Amino acid sequence: MKAKPQLELIYLDMTLKMPFKWNTGEPLGEFFRELKANEKIYANQCPTCGRNYCPPANICTRDHSRCNEKDKWVAVGPKGTLLTFFICEQSFLIPTTGEMLEVPFSVGLVMLDGAPVVLQHCLQETDVEKIKPGMRVEAVFKPKEERKGNIFDIIHFKTIKE
Amino acid sequence: MSHRVAITGIGQTRHSGRRPYHNDGEMIHEAVSLALADADISIKDIDTVIIGNMDLFEGHYLNDAMLADYSGSIGKSGFKMNTGGTVGTMEVITAWYNIASGQSDTVLVIGWEKHDEGPVTSAITTIYEPAYTRWFSVGALSGLALLSDDYLRRANCPMEIGGIVRSYMSENASRNPNAHLREKYTVQDVMNARMVLYPLTLLMICPTSLGACAMVLAKESKAKKMTKKPVWIKDHVTVHAEEGGGLFDALSGGPRRTTETEAGKTILKRNHITKPLEEIQLFEMYDPCPFFHPFFLEDFQLCPEGEAWKLIEKGLTSREGSFPISPSGGVMCTNAIGDSGTLRVAEAALQLREDAGEHQVTRKVTQALASGFGGSNWTDLFLLTNSLD
Repeated sequence: MKAKPQLELIYLDMTLKMPFKWNTGEPLGEFFRELKANEKIYANQCPTCGRNYCPPANICTRDHSRCNEKDKWVAVGPKGTLLTFFICEQSFLIPTTGEMLEVPFSVGLVMLDGAPVVLQHCLQETDVEKIKPGMRVEAVFKPKEERKGNIFDIIHFKTIKE
Repeated sequence: MSHRVAITGIGQTRHSGRRPYHNDGEMIHEAVSLALADADISIKDIDTVIIGNMDLFEGHYLNDAMLADYSGSIGKSGFKMNTGGTVGTMEVITAWYNIASGQSDTVLVIGWEKHDEGPVTSAITTIYEPAYTRWFSVGALSGLALLSDDYLRRANCPMEIGGIVRSYMSENASRNPNAHLREKYTVQDVMNARMVLYPLTLLMICPTSLGACAMVLAKESKAKKMTKKPVWIKDHVTVHAEEGGGLFDALSGGPRRTTETEAGKTILKRNHITKPLEEIQLFEMYDPCPFFHPFFLEDFQLCPEGEAWKLIEKGLTSREGSFPISPSGGVMCTNAIGDSGTLRVAEAALQLREDAGEHQVTRKVTQALASGFGGSNWTDLFLLTNSLD
């Protein structure tokens, strides 16, 4: 029997490349200003229900109260305790930069000292054997002249011994 | 008093990883034709068409208008939906509102995705808020890994449960001709596969599939004329949270309050269900990776915390068990995201109709759950039944 002739496959290439400028809003802008100017990580608390937020929230998601009074913000970290983590071994395209992800890429949820708040950020350690939830970590900041007022003013969290 | 709503027609394409000779519309039309034929009606009998996928996956944004010819929506009411992982289930809920309110008598819902056309993980990464979470996320996978790691630890669950669940799913999918990954795997195959994103190996991660699922829904008087086996939407619920909210609260010592816990409590309470694993006989779950079976069983309030993995180990959730989860093979074996939610409801309905063919469960089903998963920030849960009496 004759094989069916294979049609030439026609497809259209398309790449989207679009710049965005995203407005942080009030508390997140202030959070990044403090990170940049003073190496400080801030959290805040809902005056009604006491729920804590890092970065600070404007409106409490639980009860819709306004909670952005700067004089009530508390500095948290830079030390904290690792709660859980993942390690990515396969590279993917990062849509916000157009670059490929450098692997291994390890990320932890860190409970910062000073308030029960969780921040998600990179871990310096990428060896699964050396990452243990419960271990102590500390934020490593970029030097002042390199800080830009974004989340990467913190390079990563490094493992510390106490 | 709202109208009662039934599923009267179901159609789905075969699911696969690549289908380069067909475009989106041609694929959708297959599912639409099958659903209309199953309901024994024509497109003229449809009042409203709801169509949905996930924005950015195929690189275009107007699928209600662009695909109007293939979907059959020309001149009809309805709109597109793009709510993420919950697209498919939200479409069914929207159809329910349309019919229950009296606005429409018959609604066609179409969930679809053609993942061979774009970079899926990169597109999903854009769902995260852009200031901080997005930079520390890898598509859907990072969230699945964090939630899995969290469950393993707090339930003291052995890693092998991942292999057991995936082997159940591979057995189920091997019986389902429309599933994408149909190969059978042993527990060891799953555990020994390459690590992609700790703690998830390659075989624990849902695939990027393509396919479409369409359903016809109708009000009671029409439904009873269309089919002898209507499947009724007895109840449904949608719950939202802010990104990561429930997980972060519980991790930092707060109460365990997630979109799943709230959805489960609502459905069980409203329907006076006190023994869910007996009163409900099946769950078509939006289950993107194996550890979500025990994690969701507990969060949806179907069994006590820390107990689900032990029940799974004993066979509760296999196709022959007394509470099968995803006898279709679930999202772990077939994941065309815009169609995954529609497919959960459709597959649960097929089981209630006893029309699931080779993957029909072995025990009688009178009530079933189906869920939609929006990264735990958004959960849809359905209670379906084949008898309202």
